[in-house]
Amino acid sequence: MDFEDDDAGLMLRYRDGDAAAFAALYAHYKGPLYRYLLRHARSASAAADLFQEVWSHLIATRARYEPRAKFATFLFHIAHNCAVDFFRRDLNLREGVPAHDSESSLLEAEVPEHQRPDRAAEFAEQQSAVLAAVAALPQEQREAFLLREETGLNIEEIARITDVPIETAKSRLRYAVRKLKNSLRPMQEPEALRLRTYA
Amino acid sequence: MPDDLKPDELDDYLRGGSDVSCQYKRESAPLPPHELDQRVLKVAGSLNSKTPFKPQSLAPFAFAASVLLSLALVLAMVFGPQVKKPDDTPQVVRVRIFKSEPRAVPASPRERSPVLWLEDINALRRAGRRNEADAEMRRFRSAYPDYIIPISE
Repeated sequence: MDFEDDDAGLMLRYRDGDAAAFAALYAHYKGPLYRYLLRHARSASAAADLFQEVWSHLIATRARYEPRAKFATFLFHIAHNCAVDFFRRDLNLREGVPAHDSESSLLEAEVPEHQRPDRAAEFAEQQSAVLAAVAALPQEQREAFLLREETGLNIEEIARITDVPIETAKSRLRYAVRKLKNSLRPMQEPEALRLRTYA
Repeated sequence: MPDDLKPDELDDYLRGGSDVSCQYKRESAPLPPHELDQRVLKVAGSLNSKTPFKPQSLAPFAFAASVLLSLALVLAMVFGPQVKKPDDTPQVVRVRIFKSEPRAVPASPRERSPVLWLEDINALRRAGRRNEADAEMRRFRSAYPDYIIPISE
């Protein structure tokens, strides 16, 4: 499918050597991408590393770019893949599984910042109720929700980003919304009661 | 799908009418640290300068270069050997030296005709170099003892 939006046009210009086009793309997507990574990985340092990794990958592979989807879908697909790798490494570290590939070996000595007890507590304290509820979602549901909120992409595009069938993406998002609603309800009800009391 | 999940909840959410979405949007929207911005933009800019040209962008340069090379080759073939002829310049110089100033040291009689030698001697006289002219005349006489010099000479 040939697909071209304004951002895909900017990416084509960057592919052909226009540095200003990259600056425009970066300005547009840095916020949504950073928040997606920050709230998905639940660690500021991991988010910063992943953020750099995503843009570096985009820069390194720009010569092969062809607009076959929305630019946001392209960018967040890279981000999804980076995040998947991050969680795989993270799981290996937590379970003490010896790393087999060279990249994992380099990380063997490192302990993710968000796994340190002091940092985890700090991270939880800084979060509002809604962000804490998002952080508590299972990984796939959290990702579907964050992609929807940060990019505004539809379910079909979220499915493409996460390499799953549309029904799976839909199901993940549905569960995420449901769980968030349930998590936030106890907080909303006292607030509603308070408002009624003052009235 | 479990029974407790209502299909219209998701539709409501996708339409933007869900409280969950409103609450999430009210949260602060952190941005990447400034140093991170600088690092990414620097990498993008530095790599961009090394961007390999695409073949289609090289085509005009390749065409211009081939035209120039062909033209240079044709010019070299047509004009090259004539331009570099080694004998032209020395011949011109020899004529000028001969016309402007008579020879001080005459060539051997076998190389020079008596007429030209006498012209040289006359040129020396006209130039006021009388002694040299007389010495030349003596040499001329020894070389051509039988030559009858015209009265004008």
